[in-house]
Amino acid sequence: MNRRYLLRKLATLLVTLYATVTFNFLLFHVLPGSPVQLMARSGHMDAAARNQLVKFFGLNHSVFVQYLIYLRNMLHGQLGFSYVYRTPVTSVLAPAIGNTVLLLGAATVVTVVVGVALGVYSASRARTLTDATITVATLGAWSMPDFFTGMILIFGAAAWIHFLPISGISTPGLATGLLGHWWDVARHLILPALTLALVNVAQFSLITRNAVVETMVEDFVLTARAKGVGRRVVIVRHALRNALLPIVTAASLYVGMILGGAIQVETVFSWPGMGLLIYNSVEQRDYPVLEGCFLLFAIAVIATNFFADLLYHALDPRVRRT
Amino acid sequence: MADQSLRTGFTRRQFLQYGAVAAAAGVTLGSGAELASSASAASIPTKLRVGWNSPPDLMNPFTYESTASGEILQLIYDTLTEYDINLKAVPSLAESETASSDGRSFTYKLRSGAKWHDGKPVTSADVKYTYDTLAKNDVGQFGWTLAEFKSCDIVDALTVVISYQSAQAWNPAPLIKIVPEHIWGSFSPTKLSSYTNPHPIGSGPFTFSSWVVGQTVQVERNPHWWGALPAVPSVIWEQFENSDVMVKSLESGQIDIITEVPTLLWKALKGKPKVDAISMESFSFHHIGFNVSQSKKSKANPLIRDLDVRKALSYAFDRQQLVDLCLAGYGKPGSVLLPPSFGTLQAQIPANEQFNNNAAKANSILDAAGYAMGSGGVRNDKQGSPLSFRLICVESTDEDVLAGTICVQRAKEIGIELKLDPLDATTLGNIVYDAAAPNWDIFIWGWDSGSPDPDYLMSIELTSQIGGNADVFYSNHQYDTLYTQQAETLNVDERATILHEMQKLFYDDAAYCIMWYQSKLQAYRTDTWKGWKETKGGAVYNFTRSNYLTVKPA
Repeated sequence: MNRRYLLRKLATLLVTLYATVTFNFLLFHVLPGSPVQLMARSGHMDAAARNQLVKFFGLNHSVFVQYLIYLRNMLHGQLGFSYVYRTPVTSVLAPAIGNTVLLLGAATVVTVVVGVALGVYSASRARTLTDATITVATLGAWSMPDFFTGMILIFGAAAWIHFLPISGISTPGLATGLLGHWWDVARHLILPALTLALVNVAQFSLITRNAVVETMVEDFVLTARAKGVGRRVVIVRHALRNALLPIVTAASLYVGMILGGAIQVETVFSWPGMGLLIYNSVEQRDYPVLEGCFLLFAIAVIATNFFADLLYHALDPRVRRT
Repeated sequence: MADQSLRTGFTRRQFLQYGAVAAAAGVTLGSGAELASSASAASIPTKLRVGWNSPPDLMNPFTYESTASGEILQLIYDTLTEYDINLKAVPSLAESETASSDGRSFTYKLRSGAKWHDGKPVTSADVKYTYDTLAKNDVGQFGWTLAEFKSCDIVDALTVVISYQSAQAWNPAPLIKIVPEHIWGSFSPTKLSSYTNPHPIGSGPFTFSSWVVGQTVQVERNPHWWGALPAVPSVIWEQFENSDVMVKSLESGQIDIITEVPTLLWKALKGKPKVDAISMESFSFHHIGFNVSQSKKSKANPLIRDLDVRKALSYAFDRQQLVDLCLAGYGKPGSVLLPPSFGTLQAQIPANEQFNNNAAKANSILDAAGYAMGSGGVRNDKQGSPLSFRLICVESTDEDVLAGTICVQRAKEIGIELKLDPLDATTLGNIVYDAAAPNWDIFIWGWDSGSPDPDYLMSIELTSQIGGNADVFYSNHQYDTLYTQQAETLNVDERATILHEMQKLFYDDAAYCIMWYQSKLQAYRTDTWKGWKETKGGAVYNFTRSNYLTVKPA
């Protein structure tokens, strides 16, 4: 890979990160309402305790100094203290990140695999009833809000199918070994991941279908079929490969969009991830935790876009020459 | 150019076959797991699973604010006396409480053999440390209970004498959790308020096991507890973000009891198999508050300080209608400060003397006071200022928002304009509790009593509570004097008389318009644990921990 290309991309990444971090800080520090007043909600705090808190959270400095302290702390991996739990933000975020990555990872795998497969199948049956049915069904699922789909699945699971847990990440107080615990989590993962997959599969199936169909009318495809290459091989090896580019774009944008869906799905299923953490922190005005979450989301989106760029570079010879 | 002969080798039949196999495998695996877990459920339950949707905030018994934390901590810690199922104070950590004849001091004999969860014995030093610290530092929500505290004197290792400045009609002992001095004794006041107490050590019937923040809290039975061991081996509180899902979990057997069920969901639970939906009187009310702050910097519409305006508004609203529409009938129409759960201590105002549901009377009051009807159907005062007020409420409390909408309509009928603005709970709290310069006119909110004794609710309206709990900044010196009197009156009937007078005084000043006293709606499964006793305030999530200690496997 071209070294200059990589360095340029890295530089863009760092500048974007810095701008995001600064914007993140400004956003939460221009909001009205003193954080100490928020913490002393009930009014049972005397002046001495209030001053202690002000010093503890560094609120006695000017905004610019607070910004510098914020940058310095961030470079040391400290993201402040939660107003609600009085513990470091990192300790509140850490378990939540893992849970969200698990959920989104599972959902993404299902969504992309099923979406692409459906898209290919649809393309191979282009302009038939099957194609139309798949398009309408996936579009219909996409148009429903995430929480609505989730609730439907919950009522279905609770009322008719009884073996799927409808909330949480694990059965509370279940006494099993590691394997049993993983199986328990996997069972809890099914409904929320299914919800996210159902809603978002349309994006991949439609893009794949259209990209494959477009590629199928290209000259090189005609050549391949004239040579006697089997239809399935033509679709997968020739058409799909070229269709991968829009799919990669969609996948990297998907990461950004699904984080929003994570908030809804996690709330409905009480899945203790970052989405639920954001929801609760907004309700309780826990600004440091919100800052940390937003920062992580921003980094995730920026990083995935960066890797998508690199992936493009690897996949598409036309990009390599630039 | 659809070419049938070059169809892909993956036929529809194959697709269906593979799909069927995969689905069958999934169902088998899944139901296998389900059978395994249901087999264990069919035997004696090993956990009491409680569902709620309000999380605990801290495990520090001095600084916690949320009711959920209190519910957990009351199982981990003991108090000198505790409330039994009838909400009467009975001996707990102290095997006896002897009051002096003047009601100012109490002698407690601690149980011998009571131990902390780390094995050390409970002694009077722990009691002295707890009371002294609470009284001196006024931390958290229980500092007010010791406003009259004088001293805690150690007589011997198992005997203490707690003295107050004046006679105590209500003894706060059942609310004060005793903490171990050997753990807390070295803390500075700063450390005290910031300590998160990650692994609480108490002397109570359950030991702390785990707290997965945002998900579950678990406690285990303490085999060395001084009292009769509960039949429940462990309690798990599970947090739900969504009430519908919580209720579904109760129906499907994933939890055993729910602390608070929303009205419509509760109605749907009645008649469901293996579920009991219960309704009890609560110690709570929802009210309309008028900003009667006398601060010069108050930014309220000054017309709200006119008693005639407040009385007229009270007459405009129909309490029974509010109960029927907002609570689906599960509550009682509001009037005085104390809910009916306080029995004879609640003042009774005859229906025809209540400021309730009489638009004609409201109009005549406003006419007599000189508020003429202006254009647009809004009355003006003699200087032409309109009777137009801002009305705020908590947006996430559906019944309050509905009540607000109804009140706007009723106020319009008597020529008063109310502008409804639902806000989130935190913002509303910050706006209302700005004692120096409150910038609001009217709110809809509620109170839960901090104790099953009238002392807490009556104390809210004291002049001294401005800057503390006082939410409408009411100030009446006669009320303040009566409060001090009733706090020292040990004779129940005499105290009741004073309380009645206070309630009528406050009612006549119309700083509140109490809409309703809501019922406490809970539900539990009948096939896991039995012996749930209903009581005022709720079977669980109440001032008493009795049900946790007495329920048995079904």
